[in-house]
Amino acid sequence: MRTTIQILQKIFTQRFYIQNTGFFLVLFYLLFGVVDGGNLISYHTSLMLGFLGSYTFLLIVLLLWGLYALKCVGFILKTFQTPGYDFLYPTMGSIPKATRGRIWLLLHMAIYMPVLVYAGIALGVAVTHGFYLPAVIIVVFNVAMCIWPLLVYERKLNHPDVLFFTGHLQRWLNRHFTKPPLLFFLYELFTNYPRRIFSVKLFSAGVLWLTFFLLGQMEFDLRGLQLGIILSVLLHMQLMLHHRSFDDSYLNFVQQLPVPLWKHYLRVMGIYFLLFVPEMVMITINAKTSLPGLLTCFAVAVSLLVLFRCLLYFSKVDAEIHLRYVLIISFVVLFMILGKYEWPAVLLLQTASAIIFLAKYRTYEPLPKMES
Amino acid sequence: MSETVIALHAVKKSYQDTPVLDIASLALIPGIYWLQGENGAGKTTCMKVMAGLIPFKGEIVLNGNVSSRQHPVQFRRLINYAEAEPLYPSFLTGRDLLELYLNTKGGDREQIRAISEKLGIDVFVNNPVSSYSSGMLKKLSLLLAFTGNPVLILLDEPLITIDVQALRVLYDLIRSYSAKGVTFCITSHQPIDPAELTLTGTLKVAHKNITLN
Repeated sequence: MRTTIQILQKIFTQRFYIQNTGFFLVLFYLLFGVVDGGNLISYHTSLMLGFLGSYTFLLIVLLLWGLYALKCVGFILKTFQTPGYDFLYPTMGSIPKATRGRIWLLLHMAIYMPVLVYAGIALGVAVTHGFYLPAVIIVVFNVAMCIWPLLVYERKLNHPDVLFFTGHLQRWLNRHFTKPPLLFFLYELFTNYPRRIFSVKLFSAGVLWLTFFLLGQMEFDLRGLQLGIILSVLLHMQLMLHHRSFDDSYLNFVQQLPVPLWKHYLRVMGIYFLLFVPEMVMITINAKTSLPGLLTCFAVAVSLLVLFRCLLYFSKVDAEIHLRYVLIISFVVLFMILGKYEWPAVLLLQTASAIIFLAKYRTYEPLPKMES
Repeated sequence: MSETVIALHAVKKSYQDTPVLDIASLALIPGIYWLQGENGAGKTTCMKVMAGLIPFKGEIVLNGNVSSRQHPVQFRRLINYAEAEPLYPSFLTGRDLLELYLNTKGGDREQIRAISEKLGIDVFVNNPVSSYSSGMLKKLSLLLAFTGNPVLILLDEPLITIDVQALRVLYDLIRSYSAKGVTFCITSHQPIDPAELTLTGTLKVAHKNITLN
């Protein structure tokens, strides 16, 4: 007969490692695959001595371990919210508190194990080489990373209706502020699809970083930066498709509000302006250009984003057709930029998106989903 | 003769190439109407068309001079709609939605606060809608339908999901708003209790058309 902990390990631990197989494969490759097998031990010993001997390096390592702990906590909380796992509340809630505490600890340690193993070895190295203070820091940090999640799990069990992002602060905000429609889509991304928005922003930042790196090798040319910006905008395409799907599913009621079309249009412009703010900050810090140059870059980016979104107000434009039109428009804009016709390009993009929006917003209707 | 509240002129609606509504003409005077029809007859589509939620061919005129085509904003101010199965973004709170409706549609905040209390919505209005039961969502969508200064309120299956106490409050609201001149169009598979509401007429959706009995 299976014990309770065996069943719970199957629900939490096994699922965690199965769902994160890709993540661990990449991690193992980075830790053990990039070094010649014969030098593996000396490589890791040097790495450990590196962070044991430098508090800055140690802080970065602790930060990474902390992020992994957050990933573990997020997984367990998400399991409780997954449809079909409601039975966990009455079953785990019926276990005596002390026993449940031990179960939480075992479950959390089982998924936090990779860090515990690496930290354990680092501890051995620290003691052997006389790094006593870093050793104490590592012990205290990891004990803390194993204790605080248990309180969060216990709280989740007692407050099933409280989501991961709705703590005291969120409830206070909910009582005192209302979310403007401009932020609905951003809330959707940050609360329900954080990975999607973070991955897009990460890749977009990567493209811009590469652009600045290449521009650093030569004399700065605004057109080169704008090419990078077009690529960065293209990376936002999946967010636009998500935006349409979100509007179709949840924001039907907005159509019924007595709001003039131009306000709806400004809302769409505002959403994409806000979405591109991180890139704007990055560009402002790194670009060796004047204010008019920066404004040109931002105007091109936001105009492209808004037009690409507006194309989706044609019901029959699916992801494939959208990609085709987006690439054609990008090429045209690229050539206009190369010919230093940035502002005429912005004007054309803005006119096209406004015409499409004003003509299609009220008549747009999502296509019914086809049965497969 | 009473003034026409809503008039439909050559209203046609198709999904892809399949016509679902083809109403040559329909005019309603103020009152309470029961919109009947079999499953799939087009009741909800008809309501969504009237509410300006989905595109259609033809024209709908409210109060004799507010056209769905020429005055889209004013049109939406005069007509409210509560869905049968409301769906809202999970992260929004009831208060977020209520404020949005009050800010755009206007109306008496105090009156809405009183209705909110009567329906028991004030207890959970600050929570995200993801934590609401289907009954709580339904109550919220009904409350939103009473915001602003509508002349016509469309209620899609309002009698299901809500508890007996809320149902009593809803009947009271319909009676009092109707007395103030607001017209109601209600779909329901359950018979509407004649002791609670006096119907002005029954609308039957069949064969893509609506007939008034």
